[in-house]
Order: sequence, then structure tokens, then C-alpha cells
Amino acid sequence: MNDMRTLERIVNSEAIKISARNVQVHYGTTQAIKDLNVDILDKTVTAFIGPSGCGKSTFLRCLNRMNDTIESCRVTGQIMMDGANIYDPRIDPVQLRARVGMVFQKPNPFPKSIYDNVAYGPKIHGLTRNKAELDEIVETSIRKAALWNEVKDRLQSPGTGLSGGQQQRLCIARAIATGPEVLLMDEPCSALDPIATAQVEELIDELRAQFSVVIVTHSMQQAARVSQRTAFFHLGSLVETGETGQIFTSPKDPRTEAYITGRIG
Amino acid sequence: MTDATSGGLSAAAQPKSSLLQPSRLMKKRNAAETRFKAYGIAAIVLSLATLGFMLVTIFSDGVSSFFQAKLSFPVELTARTLDPKGNRDRADMVKITTLGYNKVLAVAFEKELAARGIAIEGQSAKDVVEMISKDAAGSLRATVLANPSLVGSTLDATVLATGRIDGYLKGRVTMQTAERDSNVTPAQLQLADKLREAGMLTSSFNWGFLTMPDASDQRPEAAGLGVAILGSAYMMLLVLVTCVPVGVAASIYLEEFAPKNFWTDAIEVNISNLAAVPSIVFGILGLAIFINFAGMPNSSTLVGALVLSLMTLPTIIIATRSAIKAVPPSIRDAALGIGASKMQSVFHHVLPLAMPGILTGTILGLASALGETAPLLLIGMVAFVDNYPAAPMEGFLDPATALPVQVYGWAQRADPAFIERSSGAIIVLLVFLVAMNVLAILLRRRFERRW
Ligand SMILES: Nc1ncnc2c1ncn2[C@@H]1O[C@H](COP(=O)(O)OP(=O)(O)O)[C@@H](O)[C@H]1O
Ligand SMILES: [Mg+2]
Repeated sequence: MNDMRTLERIVNSEAIKISARNVQVHYGTTQAIKDLNVDILDKTVTAFIGPSGCGKSTFLRCLNRMNDTIESCRVTGQIMMDGANIYDPRIDPVQLRARVGMVFQKPNPFPKSIYDNVAYGPKIHGLTRNKAELDEIVETSIRKAALWNEVKDRLQSPGTGLSGGQQQRLCIARAIATGPEVLLMDEPCSALDPIATAQVEELIDELRAQFSVVIVTHSMQQAARVSQRTAFFHLGSLVETGETGQIFTSPKDPRTEAYITGRIG
Repeated sequence: MTDATSGGLSAAAQPKSSLLQPSRLMKKRNAAETRFKAYGIAAIVLSLATLGFMLVTIFSDGVSSFFQAKLSFPVELTARTLDPKGNRDRADMVKITTLGYNKVLAVAFEKELAARGIAIEGQSAKDVVEMISKDAAGSLRATVLANPSLVGSTLDATVLATGRIDGYLKGRVTMQTAERDSNVTPAQLQLADKLREAGMLTSSFNWGFLTMPDASDQRPEAAGLGVAILGSAYMMLLVLVTCVPVGVAASIYLEEFAPKNFWTDAIEVNISNLAAVPSIVFGILGLAIFINFAGMPNSSTLVGALVLSLMTLPTIIIATRSAIKAVPPSIRDAALGIGASKMQSVFHHVLPLAMPGILTGTILGLASALGETAPLLLIGMVAFVDNYPAAPMEGFLDPATALPVQVYGWAQRADPAFIERSSGAIIVLLVFLVAMNVLAILLRRRFERRW
């Protein structure tokens, strides 16, 4: 672990954006998440690390209720966002997902133009009144996703024609365009080459100024590079959570230490 | 670890056999592969040969039905016969039946023969006039009634020759067959040769075959596919209008919205089974439900279309569902992930991507409906229909027939001229089917090429 810059990073804000209490997730009869409690801070990058199959993606998908699309999945417990339980029956998951954006493991741009990819969210949520406003949202979103210079001359060409890294940044731009407050990323770099990974990581660091970012990652180096807080998952439970520097240098739990030093995982 | 390394090294140092010499197992595998390829090629050659043989037969039998022998001669439309009251009033003129027009034609034909100096060696005048189709008087009457002012003038008429004379020009009827045939005499054929030399008897493209309605047994030369083509077109239109919305909506619901439980499983199994139900069963169903129970008119295109819809629906649903299933789930996740509703994700993203598959399935379903005969026989579409159905919408309730049924109907008739027309109708049907398949390919290309 040569990159310990994280230690010097200041956690911008201590405001709690999302707090999960006693969350249990079942797929049919098998339990994927047990008794999970965690707080996710605003304007902070939180990394979820842990061995494969420990429930990181499952928990991430709870935060924007994408788990609703899996028929066998049942979530119990409480996940509060800005004082409201997102599993309250009165909450419309469609509305929630506009405020909690998601970037998937594999870049999945729509088979439409770059422009339409980014404009789709604002259009369906009625965020703009005219074409000029829409153009502006599209441009600022693509700029924030650090993709503008590469695509500004070919906004009308298909999004699927971009390289893997560009596609992933396009997906980030698409998620940003609806003006979310939280951005969930499930191993966003696992399908990317090292250069594209570096670009996306840099981008994540910039995004922290406006959003609360939660990133699932396989790579501990990546967690250390981009996050301020880290949560370590093991076999469906949250083992330890804290500031990234502390987790990586002086973990409290022996399982965390074992994972970080490469003995489990 | 070390064992494996040393084993590998020794194996490399002492090769078991030369790579240049295929082992016995290898030879066996290669032989099996060669045999398999040969079987495949043989199967393809066999099916191509069958297809080729079928096409050659159909075309050699049927192409001639697109040509028709016609007699042309000037016809004096004598006012005394056609308009005895002399007021050119249509209401009075309709009282003159085709018998009157027959007389006019006979007189004009004999006069023209005499004028050209064509001798009618030993034939009765009746025999000579019988070379003109029985359809001619009717069509002349229709022309005159449409324009009563023609009466009194001389018209350059082109009328159909009888089926036997037509057959003689096409080589189907010969002097030998004419001797045994009560409908034609060798003398008539000899006269036909003379008429051909004189340019009065010509063979030309037979538009009437595509536009005229069916005709009775005595006038095969006048039988056309007009009603059948119109009937098939009406039915395709109705099938399209009923099947596509219902089929696509059902598929979307089953694929995207329906919970997976016993009921949806049962529905799925039933849809697959319905696709395999023999089509004649749908005919009985249509007869029972639409005609006997709902009281819809017999032989109408509406009933035909409903029966064909029932038959096509499972095919369309199966094709649409597999097209929807083939859309990668990541697209749905992407749409849902930015807050699209289920419905938006389906209509904005899934359906456009599934479109090529849906269109192909739909068009192929329609094509099989176009070629379907059995259920239509049961609902009475095989009846002899010589009136065109009216324009939509009332026209959907009028009796009509369909292309494959017309093929069947003509193949049943005794006169070989109808057998020729039956093959001709198959060619028309094949042209429609090929056109629909080409359309399916073009649409798929168009929708796929977008990205
Ligand atoms: N759709 C699903 N249906 C059933 N079980 C699932 C499903 N998705 C994940 N699981 C199970 O839930 C557990 C956690 O998976 P996941 O959250 O994907 O882990 P991670 O992202 O940490 O690798 C695993 O045991 C996995 O098999
Ligand atoms: Mg995962």
C-alpha cells in the first residue's frame, strides 16, 4: 500500500446523507445482507470493499431500490435518506432513482446518440423547458464527466461507438444529468484499462464536490486512492467502517486486517 | 511443482510421435468431420433440387395463364338491337340481355370474316361464332351500358377467344385432342390458324387474370384473381390491425410486467401449444364462434381475418417475446437507474431494440396466414364469388375468396384451362410471399442499421 495520500485528505462534510439501520436482504430464502448499519456522509466518497459475493452490490442496489427489479429480493430494515425512509410504501422508487444515480459495472450506454444518452434523464423528468436549457444540461453534464473535449464534435454519433472508458464516462454524465444527490457506482472501472481507470478515478474525486459518492470496488488501491471513508463487508455483514486512512493503516477488526493484507478474499 | 516441470521437460525432449504424422484418433476424427460435411452438403443439394423442381413445374404450368388469346374485329353496335326505343336511355337499355349482344357480336364477326375473305369451309356459322368466349357479350354489354352514346357507332372490339382456342395458341390443345373434344373441332383450330395469319387472333398479356373475378366452368378464359387478391389483401390488413397490437401488447406484458407464477407459466405453455394446433381446427372454431354464434356473414373477409388472426397470434407472440428477451438487461437497468418508469424503459429502449425481431416475426406470421387455406374452406370462402367486395369498411362483410382458396378451387375443376390458371394463381401467391419476405428483410436491415 504505497499510496497513503488519503491520510491527508480532509473529509469535507460530516452531514449524514443516508443512514441504514438493521438492513436485511434475502434472495428467496438465502440471506445476502445481515443486520447492516452504516452512515453515508454527504459530499464524501465512500468505498465498499470486501471479497466477492459478500453483498456489496446487493447493498448498493438497496440504496436506489434497484433491487425492486429482482423478483426474489426482499429488503427489510430502514434506510433513511434526508429524514425519509426510502422503503416507505409512499416513496416512488422511480422518483428516488432520479435523485440517487447509478453507474453500472459494465458501461451500458443506450444505443442512441451521445446527446440523447445524456438528454434522456432530464427529458423524462421534465427538468428543462426548451432545447437551449437541455443543451446546457447536456454540455455541463458531459463536462463534469470530463468527456466534453473528446465528444463535443460528435454529439450526434452513437454512444456505443465510444471506447470503453469513454462509454463509462458517458454513463456517468448520463447519471449526473438528472441532478442526483447521491451517485452509486458498482465497480465502475472493472471493465476499463488502467488509463481509462485513472481518468474515471480523477473524475470521482471531482464529483465529490457536489455529490455523495458510493463506490464498490475490488481494488483496495482504488479504494485508498479515491475514497475518504471505507466500509469493509464480509459474508453479508458490515465488518468495519471508518476513515479510509484508518481502515488501511490500523484496522480494528482482525478480518479487515486479514483482507487488506491479502489473507482473505 | 518440480515433478510437473521435470515431466514436461522430458516430454518435450522425447516427442511421443511426429506432428507431421496424424495419429490414429486424429484420422478418425478428421474422417468423421469430412463425412458430416458431406451429409450437410448432400442435404442442401437435395432440398435445393426439390425447390428448383417445384418452381420449374409451377412456372412451366402457370406462366401461360398470364397470356390470353384475343380476337379483334370491328363491331357495329346496331341501334335496332341494342336500343329498340332509340332514346339511349340506360334504364331501357338494361332490358337487352347478353343474348342481344351475342347477336351483334356474331353478325360483326361473320361480316369481318367475309370482308377479309376468310372461308369457313364447311363449318356452321354457330361453330365459328363459338370461337368467341361466352364472356365477350357480357363485357361488351357492360361497356355499352357504361356509355350509351356508343350505340349506333362501330367499335374496334377486342374480345376473349374461348379457352380451347387459347389453349391451341399455347400448345395445350392440338388437332388430335380436338377430335376427341366436344368443345372444339379441328375445323375451328384451322380457322384459328387463318385468323392468326390475318392478325385477328393475337395472344397478349392477360391483365384480366389479375383483375377479373372468378368465372363459371364454361368460361375459364374469363376467370381472374381479382376477388381473391382483394380478399387476401383485406384479410392481411385486418389480421395486421388485430394481431399486431394484441400480440405485441400481450408479449410485452408477459415478458416485462407479469409476475412469474403458475398462471403465467400455464399461459406460456398454452401459447406454445396454440402455435402447433392444426389450422383447420381454427376453421371449426371460427365457424362455431363467428358465424354460428356471433352471426357474422359467411365467406366474409372479416370472419376469414379473425380466424387467421387467431392462428397467427401465437406465432407473433412467440416471435415478439423472443425479440424482447434478446434485448440485453443492461439496457433496462440503465433506463431504470436514471429514474425511467418500467413503461418508459420498455417503450423508449426495449421495444426499439426488439423492433427488427418483432417486425420479422409479424411479417412471417402474416405470410403464413396469407398462404393458409384449410380454415378458410370451413368458413365458406371457397364459394364461387364473382362480385368484388365493396370498399372497406362495409366491404369486410362482403363475401370474397382468397388466393390459396382460389388455387384450391380451380384445381378442382375439370377443364385443363383451370389447372393452368391454378398454377398461375400459385405464381401470384408466391410473388406476394416473396415480396413480404423481402419486406421483412428490408425492415430488419433498416432498423438494425440505425446503430
Ligand atoms: N439476483 C440474485 N438472485 C439470487 N442471489 C443473488 C442475486 N444477486 C446476488 N445474489 C447473491 O447474493 C450474494 C451477494 O452478492 P453480491 O451483492 O453481488 O456480491 P458482491 O457484489 O459483493 O460480489 C451472493 O451470494 C450472490 O450469490
Ligand atoms: Mg458486485
